[in-house]
Amino acid sequence: MTADRDARLFVLLGVGALWAGALFGVVGSWQHVVPGIFDAVPFVKARPLHVSLVVAWIFMAAVGGVYYYLPRLVDAPLHAPRLVRLHLWLWVGTGLAILGSYALGRFGGREYWEFPPWLGAVVAGSWLLLVYNFFRTAFKGKGPWPAYLWMWATGIAFFLFTFLEAYTWLWQRPDDNVVRDLTVQWKAYGALTGSWNMLVYGTSMVVMERISGDRSVARSCTAFLLFALGFTNLLFGWAHHVYPVPSAPWLRILAYAISMTEWIILARIIRQWRHTMQGAIDHRGQLVHRFLYASELWVFLNLGLALLISIPAINLFSHGTHITVAHAMGSTIGINTMILFASVFHLANDARGMPAVRVADTRWGFRLLNGGLMLFWLSLIGAGLVKGWYTVMTDLPFQQIMERVVPFLASFAVWGLVLFMGITLLAWQAVRALWWTAPRSTATTRSPVIITPPPTLQS
Amino acid sequence: MERGVPEEEGGGWRAVHRRLIFFGLVVLFVVQTGLTWTSSTRVAEGRGTLDEAARRGRQVYQEFNCTACHQFYGLGGYMGPDLTNVTRAEGKGPAYAKGIILHGTKRMPALGVSAAQADDLVAYLDAWAASGTYPVRAVNLTPWGTYREMHTTDDR
Repeated sequence: MTADRDARLFVLLGVGALWAGALFGVVGSWQHVVPGIFDAVPFVKARPLHVSLVVAWIFMAAVGGVYYYLPRLVDAPLHAPRLVRLHLWLWVGTGLAILGSYALGRFGGREYWEFPPWLGAVVAGSWLLLVYNFFRTAFKGKGPWPAYLWMWATGIAFFLFTFLEAYTWLWQRPDDNVVRDLTVQWKAYGALTGSWNMLVYGTSMVVMERISGDRSVARSCTAFLLFALGFTNLLFGWAHHVYPVPSAPWLRILAYAISMTEWIILARIIRQWRHTMQGAIDHRGQLVHRFLYASELWVFLNLGLALLISIPAINLFSHGTHITVAHAMGSTIGINTMILFASVFHLANDARGMPAVRVADTRWGFRLLNGGLMLFWLSLIGAGLVKGWYTVMTDLPFQQIMERVVPFLASFAVWGLVLFMGITLLAWQAVRALWWTAPRSTATTRSPVIITPPPTLQS
Repeated sequence: MERGVPEEEGGGWRAVHRRLIFFGLVVLFVVQTGLTWTSSTRVAEGRGTLDEAARRGRQVYQEFNCTACHQFYGLGGYMGPDLTNVTRAEGKGPAYAKGIILHGTKRMPALGVSAAQADDLVAYLDAWAASGTYPVRAVNLTPWGTYREMHTTDDR
């Protein structure tokens, strides 16, 4: 019970981080359009605050889900429930220190981890608590692991490895060159993103299994094929980030070949499109399903974009432009946030034993989030197309290119505001469900593997 | 609760194969990591390396979080321009870069960098300029969706 409460607290604080991260995203987007606006939080502070808080949302919601679901999936209590609380408070303390360092303008790290490097050591150390608890608990289960346990295991292990790899610049050789350094940095970042995607996709599979009661999906050959493709791309598919960097040709060709294997996933999505659409229509009145089906739409759109920009001839024009931002936003909001909202509402319902939030409560938040995101995403693609074309095909200076991009950035800022309103409404409902509803008294860490949802749960 | 390892749920030899494939991928990852760390660049030896001033410049670049707005080889924030070739580009150069670092522009505030720090930053920017050229402007596409520059081993 204590671990369950701490798991819910992980998720609750993650929702708070999402809201605050989205707020700084709005600040940063308007700073692109109106220079000097929000001078109290200049862009050099707004950007890392936005990125770090949104990354914190993904990790806290996913890790909270792992701590909550894992004992139920392996039918055994968490190996060390007290370590969950230690992990939580270490993260809260480190998170506050990171936010404080940004607010004071004390940087020192690299992109995405701009905080002073010693704080990274605390993040890695606290992650070891999850590694220990996850593997000791997961090995208590009987039989072969379903695909989601493989996803979580690889996500947890590879996050630690790639996070440490992202800090190897601290021990650089004197004869090292900047290109090798940049390549290693983006190798680590590419795999690191793949690691947290593994955590989120594993969570998606768990939620689907729990709401459908169908155990076969996560144990099918298709599930393992998708896991293998995702894992291969996590390991080797990052180099499209560095096509224009003077890195070794073998690296680029390998990444190109690996990236193209994702056409298999896209083809499968298209093949099952009619089935997916029918499922979405049939389950439109069910809260958790709505978020999972929305994430499928965003997987389709974002995978299509990722495949296109992984083709070097197209990457030549999209690299270093807002198309990369569109891809990042589509992944973190469209896919990860939709899946994690599904998990948050499912977890809240499960802990309470009855629906804590209904579809009607989330209707406007859901519409504003998805509609706003679609136009926000298209605005970024438009901005990227204009910037990429003028950068590669002309000798126009940067400022003149950006003058042509500004209308798209204005559209991006406006729709970002709509998106923020959607997140605010959903975050409010999530907090209400997680905090202001008492968990059912009979919940234990030894509940059955599959909880068939009561009919009212899905409305 | 259902226990055991039914064949249709992925037990038996298929589970063994999965583990083999997984560990095979991990081994390949270790090999690729080693190759990336040791031979991922085609920049000639001695170019793009950091001397003492450039190392200090890298520290300044990180402490002022310049990456929030600027990029090298298109990687970084998009508020400001790419800095890969700023110290060697036509009409620009070290003095131009130092002037902007110290005094800012209409869009970029002066961040309070000292003159000594600005010199170190320029040394760091020059190490990048020596490593190659960005963006790739010659569009020599191939039928396989690549462009010819990415197949060559010559320095740009």
